[in-house]
Parts: sequence; structure tokens; C-alpha cells
Amino acid sequence: MSERRLIDCDIHQEFGDSEEFLAFIEPGQRDWFRAQAYFGLPGYTWSHPSAWFRQDLEHEPGQFPASKVEHVQREALDRHDVEIGVLTGDDGVTASLMGSSYRAAAFARAHNDWMRELWLERDPRLRGSILCPAQDPAAAAEEIRRCAEDERFVQILLVGGSERPYGDPRYLQLFEAAVETGLPVAIHSGGEGMGIGATPGGAGNPTFYIEWHTLGSACSIMAHLVSLLCHGTFERFGELRVILLEGGLAWLPGILWRLDTNWRGLRAEVPWLDRKPSEVMREHVRFTTQPLEHTDGHDDLLFEMLAEAGAPEILCFASDYPHWDYDDPDHMLKRFPAEWREQVMFENAAAFYGARLGLVPA
Amino acid sequence: MKAWHEVGSLTDVEREGRILIRIGGREIGVVRDPEGGGLHAMRNRCPHSGAPLCLGSVRRRETGQPGRYAVEDRVVLHCPWHGWEFDVDSGRCVDDERMRVAVYPVRIEDGRVLVQA
Repeated sequence: MSERRLIDCDIHQEFGDSEEFLAFIEPGQRDWFRAQAYFGLPGYTWSHPSAWFRQDLEHEPGQFPASKVEHVQREALDRHDVEIGVLTGDDGVTASLMGSSYRAAAFARAHNDWMRELWLERDPRLRGSILCPAQDPAAAAEEIRRCAEDERFVQILLVGGSERPYGDPRYLQLFEAAVETGLPVAIHSGGEGMGIGATPGGAGNPTFYIEWHTLGSACSIMAHLVSLLCHGTFERFGELRVILLEGGLAWLPGILWRLDTNWRGLRAEVPWLDRKPSEVMREHVRFTTQPLEHTDGHDDLLFEMLAEAGAPEILCFASDYPHWDYDDPDHMLKRFPAEWREQVMFENAAAFYGARLGLVPA
Repeated sequence: MKAWHEVGSLTDVEREGRILIRIGGREIGVVRDPEGGGLHAMRNRCPHSGAPLCLGSVRRRETGQPGRYAVEDRVVLHCPWHGWEFDVDSGRCVDDERMRVAVYPVRIEDGRVLVQA
């Protein structure tokens, strides 16, 4: 292999033994969390028919894969010479959809401490995401400020499922904290239709996981992107940067053409937008690549369309380890156009996350 | 040679909001800014998709900061089909520099409206 460098922007570490996580919950709330199924997180209405995870991964009996740092080291980092792996947790991100914002805030604090103590402390290649309770933006801002001092946290993490799309002014305090701390905001698909979140897809609840997985994760990411652009979030916060995770990509050129077209005719409604939304997007927003749509032999068409939307500059590689729809880095390296590879696999993420990655120049 | 053409009365355009005429094979509209009262002559064909542009509405262009609404001094004509905005002085589509509609000088003489085309 050549000198290729690799940053994996979406590695999911999983909960191990429940008491291991509960130890990070503040004492006054620990019994409540212990008494709930799965820490009180809203459960999935639609579930993978057999397993959420790759079936070839090591795991302890009765435990999830990727629930020990050694799993992540061996299977995600060492195996592919990953220089930096950005951890995003997994179902913990749905805390923002819990009915109680107080419980969600306690959960987020515990999740961030768990992230730091059991993961970031144990491998210098790992970087973390700050979970925050989006249903209480003031509490979210407080948690962002608390965690941001630790330079190993490289982003704020929100979930695709939400009460309203994130451009809504109710979330302003959260974005203010992001800008103040210099941290980008990551929005990871998932949680659509769960807990207090809106239904996925826009036409009512689907029946199957395949529908949810096709629509929910893409539509929520589309909705957040369009919302952030229309509300003038990037005009308001000129330094704000956003990365959208695991929402798919093939829809992006279409939604941008559609939004730009509508902007020309409907900008009286959002007159603070004095540039095409797609131009603003290119400056402020990045996308992780997984799950890159399988195109049945039409990759050239996909890449041509993505180039029109701003690729390769807007793309950052992600594997989604240890999930079933994982994108293998070495396989993806072959799929991307040769002239995109260094940017997508390494350079774009290095530039996006900046100094907090602590990268040593090649 | 461009000549001045009498296209109607000021009273007509004040009452109707516009006058449509044909000069040398081109359909031209004279539209009135209802706020400032100014008259503007433009080709009556939207360069985007062919709409009768001068049947659109004339108003000051909206502006603002996120969450706050205001209006500019600039007066625009909103295409009656898709709402694209054209500067009544330059004919440019404000949000797409590649789009431009021809504009023509207008003057008023003794209550009559004249267009140079």
C-alpha cells in the first residue's frame, strides 16, 4: 500500500456492561436509569430483521460488537491503518428524543464522560463527539461548553430525528455554543420517528425497516440541511461548520438544484439569503460518504452529479464500523475517482476538524 | 434607429398598472411601481421560461437579517409564473446574473407615455 492516510469520521462504539455505563450517571439519577429498558432511550420502532451489526465481528457473549476499545483498535483502526477515528457512540444519540429533557441532559453528561474515560483515554487515535440534549438547547449549550475544553472532543453531535429541523430558532443557543467553542456540529442520521421526534419520511410512519432505512435517514438529513440554509444559520454564524453523517449522498445534487430553483422564486420569504443556498452549503457543510449508494455500474454518473454539488471538497470518508451497512475503506478507496481519493479519505476531514486532530504532517 | 413611440396615457398605466404594446415585432410592457409611481418599460418575455413578464407584480425587493425582514430601495418585477425577480432599471435577474431582460427608456409628455425602442 502506498502512503495513503486515512481518517474515519464515523466509528460507533457500543455500550458494554450496563453497570459500566451507569457508573457515569450522576448518583441522584442512577437508579432511574438502571430501572429503564436500555437506559430510558427511546426504542426503535423499525429494526433490522436480523442484526444491526456486521456478523464477522468479535464480541463478548451477550454484548454488542465494538463495546471494548480493543475491538475498535483491532477491527477499525489497526486493520486499515486509520490515523484518526472519530467516535460517534450509537443509540446514545437518541437521548435528544427522550421525553424528559432532564434525563436526557443527565444521559448526555454521562455519555460524554464515558466517551472520555473509557475511549479517548485509551487510544490516542480516537476523537470524540459531544452529545447534548437537543430538546433543551440551554442545557445543550452548557454541556457543549463543559466538554469543549477537552481538545479530544472534535465536534458536537446531534441526531437526525428531531422535533423540528435544526434551523429553527429554538436551537440558537446550541449553535451559539458551537461557534463560541469553535466546534463543528455533526448531525448523524437515526432516531427518526422515535420518542418525541417527528415521523420519518414526511408521509406518515412506514411499515418496514427497509422503508425507514431508505427514507428516514436521508430525509432527516435533507430536512436539516434545507432548514439550516433557509433560516440563514450560516449568515447568522459565519464561522459555523456542519457535517452531515450517514444520510446518503445521491440525493444531494437534486435537493440543491431544487432549493436553488425555489430560492429564486421564493426568496421573499427568506430575504436574508442573498446567495444561492448551494453556494453557502459548499462553504459550510461537509458530508460523510457512508453509505455511498450502490449504483449498479453507474458510479461515473454518481460522481459526476456529486461533483456538481461540490465534491470532492465536501466529502469525508466514514466506514460506519461496526454496522451492517459498513463501507470498507480499502474497497471505497477503489470506488472513488483516483483524483478524489486523498481529499476524501484524509485531507477534507483533516481540514474540517483542524487542530483538534493533532495530526503530524506527513 | 431607436425611436420614441407613444404607447398610451399615464392615466391608463396608473389605472391598470401596466400597458402592453408591440413595437417592431417585440412585445414590450410598461409597468408602474405602485409605491414610487415610476414607470419602467421591459420586454414582455421572461428569459427563464417565457412567461409574460410584465403581468407580474412590481415592488421593492425584500431583504433582511436572519429572522428580521426589511425592504431595499431597489424596485423589482416579480415574474408572474415562477416569481424570479428582475431589477426594473437594469433588467437583470437579481438572483441569477445570467438572466436578463431588455429594458427601454420611458418618458411622459403631456400625460402621454412614450417608450424608446
